[in-house]
Amino acid sequence: MRKTKSVRTVTALMLSISVIAAMTADIACATAETNTEKGFRWRNGAEVYSKVCSYCHESQVGPRLFGRELPPEYIRTIVRNGSRAMPPFRPSEIDDESLARLAEYIQRN
Amino acid sequence: MSNKYIALPKGISEKTFDSAIADFRSVLGDAAVFTSAQQLAPYIKTMMPVPDSDHTPSAALMATTVEEIQKIVGICNRYKIPIWTISTGKNLGYGAAAPAERGQVVLDLKRMNRILEVDKDLAYALVEPGVTYKQLYDYIAEHKLGLWLSMPAPSAIAGPVGNTLDRGVGYTPYGEHFLFACGMEVVLANGEVLRTGMGSMPNSNTWQVFKWGYGPYLDGIFTQSNYGIVTKFGFWLMPAPPAFKPFVIQYEDEEDIVEIVEIIRPLRISGVIPNAVVIAHALYEAPVKARRSDYVTGPGSIPDAAVRKLAKDHHLGIWNVYAALYGTPEQNEVNWKIVTQAFSKSGKAKILTEREAGDDPAFKYRASLMRGDMTLQEFSLYNWRGGGGSMWFAPVSQARGSETLKQMALTKQILAKYGLDYSGEFIVGMRDMHHIVDVLYDKTDPGQVKAAYQCFDELLTVFSAQGYGTYRVNTAFMDKVAETYGPVQRQVHKTLKKALDPNGILAPGKSGIH
Repeated sequence: MRKTKSVRTVTALMLSISVIAAMTADIACATAETNTEKGFRWRNGAEVYSKVCSYCHESQVGPRLFGRELPPEYIRTIVRNGSRAMPPFRPSEIDDESLARLAEYIQRN
Repeated sequence: MSNKYIALPKGISEKTFDSAIADFRSVLGDAAVFTSAQQLAPYIKTMMPVPDSDHTPSAALMATTVEEIQKIVGICNRYKIPIWTISTGKNLGYGAAAPAERGQVVLDLKRMNRILEVDKDLAYALVEPGVTYKQLYDYIAEHKLGLWLSMPAPSAIAGPVGNTLDRGVGYTPYGEHFLFACGMEVVLANGEVLRTGMGSMPNSNTWQVFKWGYGPYLDGIFTQSNYGIVTKFGFWLMPAPPAFKPFVIQYEDEEDIVEIVEIIRPLRISGVIPNAVVIAHALYEAPVKARRSDYVTGPGSIPDAAVRKLAKDHHLGIWNVYAALYGTPEQNEVNWKIVTQAFSKSGKAKILTEREAGDDPAFKYRASLMRGDMTLQEFSLYNWRGGGGSMWFAPVSQARGSETLKQMALTKQILAKYGLDYSGEFIVGMRDMHHIVDVLYDKTDPGQVKAAYQCFDELLTVFSAQGYGTYRVNTAFMDKVAETYGPVQRQVHKTLKKALDPNGILAPGKSGIH
């Protein structure tokens, strides 16, 4: 019989929910009908930065953001509207709360 | 003109739209229904040379479940509201997250982002539309599943559902993504839920392993189309090979592409080189290393002499062939001998591996793409002209040297007429090539905007007149491309549309299907 476990990317919840199954599972599976859990959500501003922004802003594609004390409101406006070649990011991708944390993270680094 | 909304669907009164919005809110809640200018701002920006107002949505809906989507299509049928579905919304250069037509309601499925299943043994995944490649990549790494992804260059922020449904390509042996799709769940316009292939059979466990099911194969009609809303999507993943050997072969003249393609084709068809090889022009790779302003100033396209100097300065070929071997070290050794012997005959090729080119930024990002690692380095292209203008011109070519040279020369000639550069590459299928050209222009310069539009229009006209079809196009030119494939195909598409979506609520205009 195939062993399954619930799929979540939020580590803490995943651990708490499926520890027993995970111990023996060799595949990751959950049926759509029974999985009522939510999908991926951001942990904090640093995670958004490392998993989205850094790919351009740490590789000379986009300008460096750290060390410039960029105001949070400016960051919010650019993220939501885009700028030149930078695409905008929607609340469905980066929710308002995560965006606020991202802006704080960039400002203080 | 409505004061309450920034746009309205075509033919829909503000009063009717009020009712539809109220019904959407009752299904999704107020926080998941956007109508204000500020909320809709991220759904408007495109890289196309047309006014953003042509593609301004009237609203956006964030759905997270199949049941919500079934209710949404019910409301759309009731009020005849058109919806434009997006997944990650990062189809940059093809229309981004904006709808095809002004006033359409965007159905945003980004938050529907569960990874439902990854089977290590059978090497497949089943995901929802909002899952990004990065999310899946991290999941596979976290669970040590030993599987590789194939993804397009916008990897980290794009996703497998949207990319494959638009028949995008990647760079690994699984690079022709739709070939590796296996099973979909689709909400139809009437609210019914179809599972394609083996998924239609209750209790089947072969949905993600056998593509065809029984009877006519249906998955294809839900790609590049507007016949349903795909809510689950299965696809195959590549087991990580024991050894991976990326390499680049450089040639110094544009005419050398004839030799390159004639050598590559038999190696690719026979599987000696298994991946989607890229033959990239110097100007496609240059932005990773150089600034255009260091080589040319003023209007007009960059002269050939400047391209040669740039290539020499930055250790690029005029053509750069990126490919890789995947297998055991012994297998790779045998195939490496075959590859090097084939390319050494004429004496024109310069063959470089990780040992010689491992620190080169162009080689590094190409190697990452060929093993399915996350990189957005290709976005350096957007710094070449600056100003955020980009359209992908994507005609298909035979994998035949004379044909590729002809397409390259024709494209370059038309681009030059409008003062634009040839930033092109060929992505090698087995018998075909996706000829991919980034038509880059400064969207803040009205002159370049006009030139880019006219140039793209002429490219489509001239290429179709010569029998070269385009495989994918941005939302401003979908009707024009649909026209090039002739009236019979267009009528069949329309017949299917009428049968499956009689009220025309799903993404009107997609691929020229209204």
